[in-house]
Amino acid sequence: MSTDEPNQSTDAHIHEHHEVEGPGYPTPAAMRTESEREKTAFVMGPRVGMDVDGPDFIGVVDVDPDSATYSELIDTIEMPNKGDELHHFGWNTCSSSCHAEGLVRDHLIVPGQRSSRIHIIDASDPRSPTIEKVIEPETVFEHNLSAPHTVHCVPEGKIVISMLGNADGELPGGFLQLNQDDFSIDGHWEVDRGDMEMNYDYWYQPRHGVMLSTEWAAPETYYPGFDLDDVEAGKYGNSIHVWDWETKEHQQTLTFGDEGLIPLEIRMPHNPEETEGYVGAALSSNIIRFWESDDGHWEWETVIDVEDREHPDWDMPVPGLVTDILLSLDDQYMFFSNWLHGDVRMYDISDTGNPRFVDQCWVGGNFADRQSVDGHDVRGAPQMLQLSRDGRRLYWTTSLFSSWDNQFYPEIGEQGSLMMKADVYPEEGRMELDKEFVVDFGDAPGGPARAHEIRWPGGDCTSDVWQ
Amino acid sequence: MPHAVTLEWRDGRSATVDVREDETVIEAIERAGLGVPYGCLYGACATCTARLLEGDLVHVKRPRGLKPQHSLDGYVLLCVAEPRSDCRIEVGAVIQADLVQNPWK
Repeated sequence: MSTDEPNQSTDAHIHEHHEVEGPGYPTPAAMRTESEREKTAFVMGPRVGMDVDGPDFIGVVDVDPDSATYSELIDTIEMPNKGDELHHFGWNTCSSSCHAEGLVRDHLIVPGQRSSRIHIIDASDPRSPTIEKVIEPETVFEHNLSAPHTVHCVPEGKIVISMLGNADGELPGGFLQLNQDDFSIDGHWEVDRGDMEMNYDYWYQPRHGVMLSTEWAAPETYYPGFDLDDVEAGKYGNSIHVWDWETKEHQQTLTFGDEGLIPLEIRMPHNPEETEGYVGAALSSNIIRFWESDDGHWEWETVIDVEDREHPDWDMPVPGLVTDILLSLDDQYMFFSNWLHGDVRMYDISDTGNPRFVDQCWVGGNFADRQSVDGHDVRGAPQMLQLSRDGRRLYWTTSLFSSWDNQFYPEIGEQGSLMMKADVYPEEGRMELDKEFVVDFGDAPGGPARAHEIRWPGGDCTSDVWQ
Repeated sequence: MPHAVTLEWRDGRSATVDVREDETVIEAIERAGLGVPYGCLYGACATCTARLLEGDLVHVKRPRGLKPQHSLDGYVLLCVAEPRSDCRIEVGAVIQADLVQNPWK
């Protein structure tokens, strides 16, 4: 079946080894092989921090090459308020609830990173989503939390959102739990946060009862822009946190120090048996691998170190700034972006402790030779990644975060950012920029916008977890 | 009593809004439909950063998104600011970028 057809129903996937049918796929391989090619994409289109007097929107991009509107923004769902900073988003339910009867993947949870407002979107028609409910910031602040980030649907009918600050935009952050049935707020997910204060992204492996969370900084620190003095003052993260998924208690802190400054996106293999994963330390520009040792404690090591580069016109060597990382559904390849350099890299991770560089794609940024695609200047550089379920097309957008865009790539703040794509050849271990695919959010109806996280109707590499 | 706040963009545009008693500058600008950037609306995110050129403008909540030096340099956060006299302020998306430079450049 096509996952892009309206009203994806629970009986679409027959689980031969389970009696009940659910909203996802029984295994990562089933998602990779039995879903059809993506036809539309949901893309966050923030306008915050621009002189465009309009709200952020959820963009629908046509990614079906057989369609007359291929590579166009075919719908924009504007938010009811301005200033949200739509950033990351997630589903009401996914493959983690694959064995739960009666659930349908038909709602997107779309938080405003700056406003702390949470939008519930009816996405049952992937070409024309609608706003169903809005949870206002005041309701979120009642739980002494702010700055919603990562959304995962989790088993037992819940949704958990990482929250980066308290109601004043200071530390500590925490996790907000919502109900899947009516999107009401339960309160904090965590029971005991131990020494965790900073938050950002999280991933979980329910079969092993573990969750790991990362660290950016307090909202009041990262919201206004990046200041090296704040790093020196210890206001940015350098650790990740291990949680007991069942008891919701903090178990262990892995402190990376200078090797792991600002650990942002965290991924674990899709294979639910695995007890390891990777986190991209943005500022240190390292990929750090973590794993559970025989005694149940978690260990870590740096497995990829992106070298700083000298820029002829700049005073100091420039870090890559690893801002996003993802694993293919077959857990064979890792992709990550270097937002300040201007490249996206592909590694073979079949030997998990020894990632093997296989290819990279340079476009935009401060170092790529290629600074335009199909007549459009590349504003920014590869940043937020999304891979097709079959692992053959890697898409990305070029905006990071409004204030950081304005600091490092001010042209994004004036003219918006882009969505691009590379064709991936997993059998050959290579990737190639698609020189004809570009979606310029500078041309969005109502005025230019940034472009941030990308998701496919029907689930993707960074939305779904298996039990 | 209301105060007249004159907004000046770096491209030369300007406009004046009357800011009512107990109203923040952002609330008055929104009421007038003038479109100045803002985000969190509680003084943490600095998206609404402006620079006070003239007049008496006070923060009614702590402007957490500003460092002490920014305040000394006249930067203000309009979402938590109320005028106590007629004012002139420099506004627009680019003002926020004054607060942070590219540290490698």
